[in-house]
Amino acid sequence: MAREIKFLTVCGSGIVTSSMIANTIEEMLEEEGYDGHADESNPSEMPTFLARAHYDFVAYASPIDEDELNGVPAIPAIGLITGQGVDEFKERMFEIIKSAE
Amino acid sequence: MLLKKELIRVGLEGETNEEVLRSLASVFVEAGVAKESYPDAIVLREQNYPTALPATAFDIAVPHTFAEHVNEPAMGCAVLAHPVEFRQMGSPDITLHPQVLFMLAITDSQDQISTLKKIMGLIQDPETLKKVRDAKSVDEVYDLLHEVLA
Repeated sequence: MAREIKFLTVCGSGIVTSSMIANTIEEMLEEEGYDGHADESNPSEMPTFLARAHYDFVAYASPIDEDELNGVPAIPAIGLITGQGVDEFKERMFEIIKSAE
Repeated sequence: MLLKKELIRVGLEGETNEEVLRSLASVFVEAGVAKESYPDAIVLREQNYPTALPATAFDIAVPHTFAEHVNEPAMGCAVLAHPVEFRQMGSPDITLHPQVLFMLAITDSQDQISTLKKIMGLIQDPETLKKVRDAKSVDEVYDLLHEVLA
């Protein structure tokens, strides 16, 4: 069975950009045989989301407070929208996933 | 299809990002797709969470705001008369100079995800972006965008 990966996307309003990012990441995970599930939030909701559930990583498109991550790895994700830096994102994401296996 | 021809402007004048944002956002209000509160909300959201992106072709911006200011999902576009200063999404210390705005009125991102994906494709497509920037008429912009977003 495919391993489930749960991640949180963060953007300014928690709607448009975080959905674009979430969808792209889910497709990347699926290609590698993982079952990706995203929750979407804005920066002020992030601590509540992180307190409520376990996330494998956070992907963010707006500045976040690193102190609020509670040790959850975070990856900048603007590059997924512009298409510049997609490989770097992927590399970092699978590094995080593999190191937790 | 979120794109609406009446929400497209070519050669939109303005000296600041607030001016061009208000100008395009008020078109959304006039067309009835957004509420009276939409222009203020767009400007405020841009100040708090900027939406400019360094696309490969040139800088663009994707201004949007919360669903409570929206009547129905829609997308508009403004080709600016000249680039205007915006701050970069995610890195507010970086100044960008968008030449084209893709303004969104979103009610439910899950419902509208197929369009959001196509907009991402457009941002990553320098050829089409350049054609949009160089377009001379609203019809021309509409046809170009309609083709990639349909």
